[in-house]
Amino acid sequence: MLKPIAFVGLLFCFLACDGGLQPDLPIQPGFGGTIRFAQNSWPPIDSLVNLWVFASQIYPLDSTSVFAGLFAQPPQIFLYPSDEARVALNVDSAVFFFPLPPSTYKYVGILQHFNATLDIRSFRVVGFYFDPKDSSQPLSVVVKDGQQVAGVNMNVDFRNPPPQPF
Amino acid sequence: MCFGQEKMGGVVGRILDGETKEPLTGANIFLRSTFIGATSDASGRFRISRIPAGLYTVQATMVGYRSQSLENVEVRGGIENEIEVELMPAPIQSEQVVVTASRYEQNLKEVPVSISTVTAEAIADRVSVTLDDALRYVPGVNMMQDQVNIRGSTGYSRGVGSRVLILFDGLPYTTGDTGEITWETFPMHQIDRIEVVKGAGSALYGSSALGGVVNVITKEIPTESEVRWRLYSGMYDKPRFQQWVWSDRTRFHNGGHVSFSGNTGTVAYLGSIARSVDESYKENDVYHRWGFFTKLRFSLAPTRSIGLVANVSWRTHGNFFWWKSLAEATRPAESQRNGNVDSQRGNVSFCYKEFVSQDLFYTVKAVYYGNFWRDDSAGHMNNVSASHVFYGEGQVTHQTSEYNTITFGASANYDRVNSNIFGSHPGVGGALYFQDDLKLTPEWKFTLGFRADWQRVSALPSASQFSPKLGVVYLPAEETSLRLSLGAGFRYPSISELYTAVSTGVSSLAVVPNINLKPERSLSAEIGLSQWLTESIRLECAVFQNDFDHLIEAGVDPVNLVIQFDNVTKARIRGIEAGLTSTWFEKAVSCDLSYTYTDPVDLDRGSVLKFRPRHLLYASVGADAGALHFSVDARYVSRVEAIDDNLVRLAPIINGDQRVPIRVVDTRVKYDLLDAGLPLRVGLNVTNLLNYHYVELIGNLSPVRTFTLVVEGVF
Repeated sequence: MLKPIAFVGLLFCFLACDGGLQPDLPIQPGFGGTIRFAQNSWPPIDSLVNLWVFASQIYPLDSTSVFAGLFAQPPQIFLYPSDEARVALNVDSAVFFFPLPPSTYKYVGILQHFNATLDIRSFRVVGFYFDPKDSSQPLSVVVKDGQQVAGVNMNVDFRNPPPQPF
Repeated sequence: MCFGQEKMGGVVGRILDGETKEPLTGANIFLRSTFIGATSDASGRFRISRIPAGLYTVQATMVGYRSQSLENVEVRGGIENEIEVELMPAPIQSEQVVVTASRYEQNLKEVPVSISTVTAEAIADRVSVTLDDALRYVPGVNMMQDQVNIRGSTGYSRGVGSRVLILFDGLPYTTGDTGEITWETFPMHQIDRIEVVKGAGSALYGSSALGGVVNVITKEIPTESEVRWRLYSGMYDKPRFQQWVWSDRTRFHNGGHVSFSGNTGTVAYLGSIARSVDESYKENDVYHRWGFFTKLRFSLAPTRSIGLVANVSWRTHGNFFWWKSLAEATRPAESQRNGNVDSQRGNVSFCYKEFVSQDLFYTVKAVYYGNFWRDDSAGHMNNVSASHVFYGEGQVTHQTSEYNTITFGASANYDRVNSNIFGSHPGVGGALYFQDDLKLTPEWKFTLGFRADWQRVSALPSASQFSPKLGVVYLPAEETSLRLSLGAGFRYPSISELYTAVSTGVSSLAVVPNINLKPERSLSAEIGLSQWLTESIRLECAVFQNDFDHLIEAGVDPVNLVIQFDNVTKARIRGIEAGLTSTWFEKAVSCDLSYTYTDPVDLDRGSVLKFRPRHLLYASVGADAGALHFSVDARYVSRVEAIDDNLVRLAPIINGDQRVPIRVVDTRVKYDLLDAGLPLRVGLNVTNLLNYHYVELIGNLSPVRTFTLVVEGVF
């Protein structure tokens, strides 16, 4: 009986020598924060075809550069969670982490697709990450390799969207 | 048993080993069919005082010895009758007595279900600060951080809607709102033993006993006045990887308790206070806790007693919900960096017991369990919940003949929840149960029982359940016990599963209510064998199958991006469990080994059930050398094969899919200074000796190597 126990003990010591989990996964670069939605401001569901966090390396934008930036290779405008998935609807707030390639993102915000067409007029910015000294100006987010930027918090009020960039 | 009424007398004496004539320490001696008794001290002596004059049957018991009864022992007023009891060693070590299987004391080998016990000594040796720590080496039990999983019954629920019923001295102890087990509130230093019943147990205990029952039994109040204390202080080692070192100083965990007890003859009392502070090896995972525990026992007569227990705790806990990423595994996700949970929980219970005759015994019990917590994890708002559970039951146990014992009873409960996320809801329920234990021959014992439950929550339609059970025990020889059991289980959805509505929190997903949830059901079948291979080696084997229907899971709707509890899964878990316990060199060395294999199948999806490991392997070795005791525990839990990928992706839990098999070694050494004339014991524990890094719960790095120094004493 003692021998099997001793064997099991030694086996555990041997097996545990590999140390288990390792942080060898590279830190996925990107930025994260919380989106806060103004109370009772959510529009009807039929005007919420999609809702994304966007990060654009280009600013200012115009209607041409939006689609060009989205479909460029590599892209210059990114959408979170993905082209097909959207941010949670009808919530008070949503936590997010947006994995991105290292770059400077000059314009970061929330994009509402409110009409089923793909016309640029079917999209509007409903909130963006701004400079606290000048709330009309977007604040750049610099994402470096191996770094996650925290605290990119944004407010959304569907009834009072910010000035549109396009 | 024949009582005189006027005067009090006593019984004193010694309990000896019948072969060696050495005194026996810790033997129990009591007057049968009464609540009067004592335990022998280090010299084998005992004293039972304040006994009404009369004739009694005195019974002495001790594990490893045959019990001994002395009939017609006369107690006369004003006189202490001196007796000497010799206990003969049992050729096969005699079994433990358990209460949870049938709601009355039974010899373990006559129980038709699998039961494991954790002793007070094991809890003290491992410096288990919370109850979940004490269960990590129980065969067939797998702890996922603070969730208990018996033979694969439980997946990922973060404690909500436990599928294991927790009892505190036989009374239900799950919260009224989330139906979860609050592990940290148990007074660890007052626990006598923990009994773990595996398989469905709703035929006696009702809702939640789907995968098993854990009964926490507190110690009897000592017959002599005493003060006990214990202090511990420990530190966390650094993780193996520098990038996981988040604090520039050593993180400590400290605590202790002191208890005092006394006995006036008719009133026995015990009070204790406990404090623990854990700085944690993870950022924002610190906790501070105070705990108060009081127990009173009023001996109204030798055959009647009233017990009162109050247990209150306060805790503040950082809300580390999951890691930021594997690269930063000791830091919480950004949304959880500053949040914390404050909780106040307490229960008050009442128990009246009476022997009406030698064969008839009844109890009346009632408990109130209040639970209040506030969570400010969302940063800009508080989630608050207050729940109140009132529960009462009456039970009769009648030994109608030498071969037949019946147990029956009734219970009722009223719950009330007030919360911003669960709403305000009352709940009411009642139940009747019956069980017959029939010994047809000395070899064959049958158990038949059922329980009928009725429950109503808020304005929802009421629900009722009927849960039968059948058990057979065959004892072909003194060293052999074969058992068969069939049992049904169910669990009403908790109020949190029915009504949770959260639109903000630590995750990006909202939680929406589902008032159409049906109760979960289970059916357990087991065949088991208990066999003494030699006088000191016992083999335990079991083959089991548990079928679950309407299992409630928190699923992520990837289209609407919401979490909702739903009856989504039908599952079958088959498995085997084998264990060896042995002692060597006149019990100076003890060895335990257990292995559990489960095959958890999701029958709806035709895949492996999520969050269940297949293999559990636990080993423990202990050795005594005079006043020195050394022991090593090792556990292996195979890598969980399937997790909820949607939860990981959408919550989001970055690198939440990262997991490995669990291979942990704990060790400890303790030294008893009693021989040196000091009533002290000191010990050193090292848990996770090899500093192995693993997760029990996705996105949560388990504790790194931890050193703990313990000093305890009694006077």
